[in-house]
Amino acid sequence: MARMAREKWYDIARDLDWELSYVDYEEVFPEWMSGQGKVPREAWAGWDEPYKVTYPEYVATQREKETGAYSVKAVLQKSRIFDQLDEGWKSVAKEHFGAVALVEDLAAYAELRMARFGLSPTWRNMATFGALDETRHTQISLYFPHALVGKDPQYDWAHKAYHTNQWAVIAARATFDGMMMNPNVVDVAVQLPFTFETGFTNVQFVALAADALESGDINFANMISSIQTDEARHSQHGGPTLEILVEHDPRRAQWIIDKTFWVSARLFSVLTGPGMDYYTPLPMRRQSYREFMQEWVAGQFVDQLDDYGLKKPWYWDEFMAGLDTWHHSLHLGVWYWRPTVWWKPQGGVSPEERDWLHEKYPHWEEQFGPVWDVIIGNINDDRVELTLPETLPWLCNLCHLPVGSAGSPRNEKYPVRSYPLTYNGYTYHFCSRPCRQIWWEDRDTLYDPTVIERLLGGQIQPPTVEGILTWMGLTPEVRGEDAYGYRWARPYAPRRQPGDRPGRAETGTRDRDGQAAQTPEPAGQGQRVPVNALFEDDFVTQLVVVQDTDTVDQAARKVAAQVVGRRVPPRDGGLVVRLDGMAVPGDVTVAESGISALDVVNVGWARVAEGGRR
Amino acid sequence: MSKPVGPVLRMSDDVDAIVAAIVDDNPGREVTVVDRGAYTRVSGDGELRVTRESIERHLGRDFEMRQLEGLMSAFAGRIDMTSDEVRWRLKTGGPGAPA
Repeated sequence: MARMAREKWYDIARDLDWELSYVDYEEVFPEWMSGQGKVPREAWAGWDEPYKVTYPEYVATQREKETGAYSVKAVLQKSRIFDQLDEGWKSVAKEHFGAVALVEDLAAYAELRMARFGLSPTWRNMATFGALDETRHTQISLYFPHALVGKDPQYDWAHKAYHTNQWAVIAARATFDGMMMNPNVVDVAVQLPFTFETGFTNVQFVALAADALESGDINFANMISSIQTDEARHSQHGGPTLEILVEHDPRRAQWIIDKTFWVSARLFSVLTGPGMDYYTPLPMRRQSYREFMQEWVAGQFVDQLDDYGLKKPWYWDEFMAGLDTWHHSLHLGVWYWRPTVWWKPQGGVSPEERDWLHEKYPHWEEQFGPVWDVIIGNINDDRVELTLPETLPWLCNLCHLPVGSAGSPRNEKYPVRSYPLTYNGYTYHFCSRPCRQIWWEDRDTLYDPTVIERLLGGQIQPPTVEGILTWMGLTPEVRGEDAYGYRWARPYAPRRQPGDRPGRAETGTRDRDGQAAQTPEPAGQGQRVPVNALFEDDFVTQLVVVQDTDTVDQAARKVAAQVVGRRVPPRDGGLVVRLDGMAVPGDVTVAESGISALDVVNVGWARVAEGGRR
Repeated sequence: MSKPVGPVLRMSDDVDAIVAAIVDDNPGREVTVVDRGAYTRVSGDGELRVTRESIERHLGRDFEMRQLEGLMSAFAGRIDMTSDEVRWRLKTGGPGAPA
């Protein structure tokens, strides 16, 4: 029997609603959940989803998708393909699973919120499908890695990561709580389906599939591209919501897109960028991260914004410039702080890889090359301990990524620096002006302490590197290490000249018992003064704890001990501390100098006129 | 192409037939196809369409339009979907944009 075409009956069925008589509309759709704002109630009747699907169609299609994904998995599980995958590539998948699997679960809640509080029956209907989709994504993203836990315990973090306080997880949680757990449904629809799912997830789920397939990980490529077929459909309920919001409150529409776009871009520069440009084996790279972002985000998404009558975000030039630096900085940070991650970051800076980076990013060599040269020297001189951290990078109060990672060394326009803000007598630090501005606007609805703040607040005990790793949930067998035991650095060994030896470290305050040197117990009568310290030409700012009884010279050496010979080559010149751009005399105490807790302290090489001392 | 729109198809046996159907259904319009292995991006300026009839002709079997969802990981532009036809377009810009 021929079935009636969907479009002949669909509009009647999907608009089925009822008039409330026993309860007030405001009680059913309270403002704090529905977020109608300036939009008149009747405007939502015009909500029209473009990608139409009925429940029988949905079930049939999803069944076909599931059959396809799981049958490929069943076949490949019996093969030796996984054992032959590149270790660097495996880390792309491990990072993905840990950072994504349970975010899919959160997305199910966001969809369910729209399924309940969405302002038209059509929207609620679409969101119900969305919730079912996200449940499937959670299940598949947990089930696939589960089969690999026996081969490698790092896959266990697919499920574990989101239950820990690991730093990248805190960054992801802050981002996604703001995007989909806290807001009303109008904001959710514009932030999650429209901005995130039509903009960014394509890079992680479609573009990354290209690298996955080249790398031989057919199972992963098949799984993520299958997931994204759901997203392509349910992300469409962002558009109709946005269309109505733009008509009645364009300023709000632009703002929620702008802020979501920014925090998403920051997060993707650690979630996706390093995997594409460093972990994926060189011959398997389809395009660079910048090229994928240009294809999917800068091109496709911006056309979409324009089509809805919206402008590019106000920080557009900074975002585009960041495609050349952010993920390089974050890769360097992840690699240097590798025990703090649940995957094995591949250094990815062999001579051939470096040529590729230079070709794709013409300023890479000048900005990041010198830091890697110091690291390479230490590896080849068997001083690997100098390539491992003894303190933490200072973290941004909005995106929770290291301060400095929104810029790069030797970059005049976007330098490595903090953008602080003192509010209610407390100094917050941000990686960039947009992070600071978004925090300021949203300060009443978000406050997620950074790892630095938790450490200084005494939540992490003991306050040592080991204590921090344990607090983050990183058991010894899963802590990250270089994917290939530094193999990529070896070709540089014969090339170096004797005079090139960069590895002489400042010895300052390093504690040989594994204490995090920068969180020492008070010594003598001094008070601890934690500062946000930047050493000239380094790529991040860091937590360094000095004593108020230290001389400024001693404080400078404590900062240098975390950088010089580790990421910046030693020099014979003296050190100088600058506070608010002014050189501080080296022989006064920290207390006398005016340096106080949470201050930004810049340490660099003394120029002749400044007469710094060693 | 100032406003490229169209589907991004995931790897499957049916990709070539879908692409051929799109080419058939958009006479006189430039259709570009970029193959990146795991996905194939099909683009036209401002608007593209594909019909069930053309897809069936190229596949040589019955096809329900809903099945396109399982093949399409993403798309550029806005989508309109009926049982017989899918259109990707932008409201503004491009020669195929509605007035």
